[in-house]
Amino acid sequence: MQNLASGDDKIIRKAIQELAMSGDSRLESFFEFYRQGSIYNWPTESGEVRIVLNQETTMDDDFNEFAPLLHPLTQEPLIISGKQAKPDLMELEDISPGRKLRSLVNSSKFLLRLFSPDFETRLSGVKKCGDPPFLPDAISILEEFARDSDQNEKIQFTAQESIELMILGSAVDSKKTPLDRITALQKLGELNSLRALARIDSFETEITKAITKTDLPTAKLKEYKSSIASVRKKIEGHKNKVEWSGNLFRGLSYGSVLILMALGLAITFGLMGVINMAHGELMMIGAYTTYEVQLMFGHSPGNPVDHYYLFALPMAFCTAAIVGLIIEALVVRHLYNRPLESLLATWGVGLFLIQVIRIIYGDNIGVNSPTWARGGFEISQDIVLPYARLYLLGLSILCVCFIYFVIRKTRFGMLIRATMQNRDMANSLGVKTRKIDRLTFALGSGIAGVAGYGWTIIGGVTPDMGQTNFIVDSFLVVVTGGVGELIGVIYSGLGIGMITKLIEPMDIGGFTIGPVWGKVILLALIVAFIQYRPSGLFAPKGRLADKK
Amino acid sequence: MIEETKLIQSKKIFLSLCILGFVIVPALYLGGILSIGDINMLGRFMTFAIVALGLDLLWGYVGILSLCQFTFFCLGAYAMGIHLAHHGGPEGIIDAEGWKIPACLFVVYPYEVGESSGDALVPGFWKPFWNLPFTIILGLLIPAVASFILGYFVFRSRVRGVYFAILTQAIAVAAWLVFCRNDVKLCGTNGLTRFDIIAPQGSFLTLNPVDATEDWIESNKDNLDLDLNKDGWVDQLDYAVADVGYSLSSPEVQLSLYIITLFCLFGSYLLCRWIVNSRLGRVLVAIRDDEPTLNFFGYKPYTFKIFAFCIAAVLAGLAGLLYVPQMKIVTPSNMEAVRSVLVVVWVAVGGRGSLGGAILGALSVNLIYNFLTSEHDYGFFTWSPDYWPIFLGIMFVLVVLFLPNGLIELVDKLFKKKTKTTGQSEKPTP
Repeated sequence: MQNLASGDDKIIRKAIQELAMSGDSRLESFFEFYRQGSIYNWPTESGEVRIVLNQETTMDDDFNEFAPLLHPLTQEPLIISGKQAKPDLMELEDISPGRKLRSLVNSSKFLLRLFSPDFETRLSGVKKCGDPPFLPDAISILEEFARDSDQNEKIQFTAQESIELMILGSAVDSKKTPLDRITALQKLGELNSLRALARIDSFETEITKAITKTDLPTAKLKEYKSSIASVRKKIEGHKNKVEWSGNLFRGLSYGSVLILMALGLAITFGLMGVINMAHGELMMIGAYTTYEVQLMFGHSPGNPVDHYYLFALPMAFCTAAIVGLIIEALVVRHLYNRPLESLLATWGVGLFLIQVIRIIYGDNIGVNSPTWARGGFEISQDIVLPYARLYLLGLSILCVCFIYFVIRKTRFGMLIRATMQNRDMANSLGVKTRKIDRLTFALGSGIAGVAGYGWTIIGGVTPDMGQTNFIVDSFLVVVTGGVGELIGVIYSGLGIGMITKLIEPMDIGGFTIGPVWGKVILLALIVAFIQYRPSGLFAPKGRLADKK
Repeated sequence: MIEETKLIQSKKIFLSLCILGFVIVPALYLGGILSIGDINMLGRFMTFAIVALGLDLLWGYVGILSLCQFTFFCLGAYAMGIHLAHHGGPEGIIDAEGWKIPACLFVVYPYEVGESSGDALVPGFWKPFWNLPFTIILGLLIPAVASFILGYFVFRSRVRGVYFAILTQAIAVAAWLVFCRNDVKLCGTNGLTRFDIIAPQGSFLTLNPVDATEDWIESNKDNLDLDLNKDGWVDQLDYAVADVGYSLSSPEVQLSLYIITLFCLFGSYLLCRWIVNSRLGRVLVAIRDDEPTLNFFGYKPYTFKIFAFCIAAVLAGLAGLLYVPQMKIVTPSNMEAVRSVLVVVWVAVGGRGSLGGAILGALSVNLIYNFLTSEHDYGFFTWSPDYWPIFLGIMFVLVVLFLPNGLIELVDKLFKKKTKTTGQSEKPTP
């Protein structure tokens, strides 16, 4: 490290490379500081080189600048004779690298990662080696990686990919001939490398230029071009497959949140004829409960306490259910079977809740998802199912099963169904319908809370999250699903989620549909659908049908 | 049924309100008690009252709750906004076809890849709005057509009650998202602004700026007073800086806009009153009270519903047309779902199923809003504008729960003591 202060470019270059090969993870931040020019030489009294880190200076009353020093590797204060060393700025010697060296330092950071014991870091290092600017030193290491069966399969694959990318991207005047590069491209095609796709275009123009310069026969050029085209087609086919499956999965998980939201709505609407516009706010309360639980457990990215997330689930359910009970007792119970009035009153409740939360918490808070929710499960090459979305899907299935069990298999559920079918008769048979109403409302609210809890793992949390994102969509789910059967909600929730996420990325003649037009199209589809089925997929039958 | 006494009584009230609006308020302004800002504010709130009237006709009498009235309002508002932007201030550039791209559009113009600022053109759909009469016709026609198409598809398939409310809310959200986009060339979230003048001569007689300039030069050729840059003749350079039309910021124009709005408000009221009192009105109320039976009698309820929906949309569009010159800006934030629900709040607070109630509600809620969205220090307690949504939410819940006929019921009770009419007749059933 001392050689960095030598002032000679060659020695410094060698020193950096040696440092990079050492694989010490502390060096990564050191390189960053070095690149930014925060690393100084503070010669000792005997004139020896001493490398130190200084980030900010302080000034005393006489305008002398002092530099509190830090240890270059650990970034802890540099203690000399009992307190932090704080020499005059003039004593420090600037050894910041020149422009050429800076790019070397930058790439050395990735080289450093190759030797990291941590899998993810190493993988990102391997990946980075395939992107320009290339490090000629890396290729031998990568080749070793690709051959080494001790390494993870993923690393072997990525190493191979990076090697081919390096050959592909080597400059026109390098030792590699166009033929070598074409072969590399073909290999990339076999690997279905998505990263190669971005390079193909520039490669094609480059190779055409190179070949016309060396006046090879045009037949050769044609051959090259056709092989480039076939590789491109193959990779694009693979990319399409990846994107489709990604969209399908996103649709599935979006649909599962919609189902969670719509379940509660459908229950309260079907049972009590009450439209709860504050449902989105109950969801928001579930999300904020998750946030509170996170604070309680002291979870943060730096200090993960992952089990808080499991604990937050019942908390979110209970808090939302309790708030639901309060809303029921204060407002909703006066409005049974008056859907329009209930819609308006609960909208007022929603407004109230949003503003209260906004005054308490401000506009935006961060819920840090637990560490296990990062990353994803790769079912086949490049098709990654994020754990967060998988969890959400599982949560939704669990809730649907729970609701199904409660409504179909328990005594409470039987009473709910009895009240739903014929309130007066149930009442005269001794069912306490008021109590059933209250509990059902709480159940629906609790499920909304769980939806908000689940949402924190993939989306942002704001006070008006329910109103802007979910309430309208989940009502549309209820409208298309019909209130006769809860199964309608599941079908239409999945359907709407899927359709939304599948039409959004579609491309019609260079015009990408995007979320906004996607929503417009979805609405048009729904309006068209209710032409054909005015009361949704599963309409209530018989006398119930006329009531609403 | 509406009793004779009630009508006479409401005529009395109507007359006194006319005097209040047309004489007393302007007199107060001229006397220096009200500022022009207050007049302007009243004018704006009265446009809201027109929207509320439309919704009251729809919700109070036909029983259809629409949650997208402000979308129709914005269709009218954007029509007027485009018109005013055409005649807006000196900023902006002239495009290849001789149309001026207003500054508000120019700064957010969605260029295609490879286009430069020279390639920007005024969008084709902006052009009909150069002419003021056309703008007014379109500002009423577009909401009418939009509501007709929507109503035709929705009412024909017997979408009712809550389902309709939710569908319209979804439409309001979708329309808002579309208007927020830059590439629909309606200036995105910035909205249309930088308006300058209204009703220059060219906006009545010509269809495009080129003709307007030529006409102006032709008619003022010999009037060298108008040669503002003193180059010897009257040309388009003078037209660009000449004082044509009426400046939107002058108090006289604002007062006139107030008077025009008031006329429109009374006109809308009389139109709604006439509809409600006619046989048509009876059918509308019958739809609200018992649609299946009406259906059984051989009526087609959906045609009446579409009619009411269109009237409400046209009134909202009219309000939008009147609102923009007074507000001098129109942005998509007016289309947010919340705004349309606010209309319902006005009607509910004022009194659903009573046209006077809708106006009362719109004006009173907005005046309260105006008061409560500024800070008030009461020593022991400081009212912050942040509390307004809380207040609104609570007020709304209380009105729905305890005052289903709104403030107008309280007003009615005051009058009932004097005249002993046979009670509230237009009571909506839930």
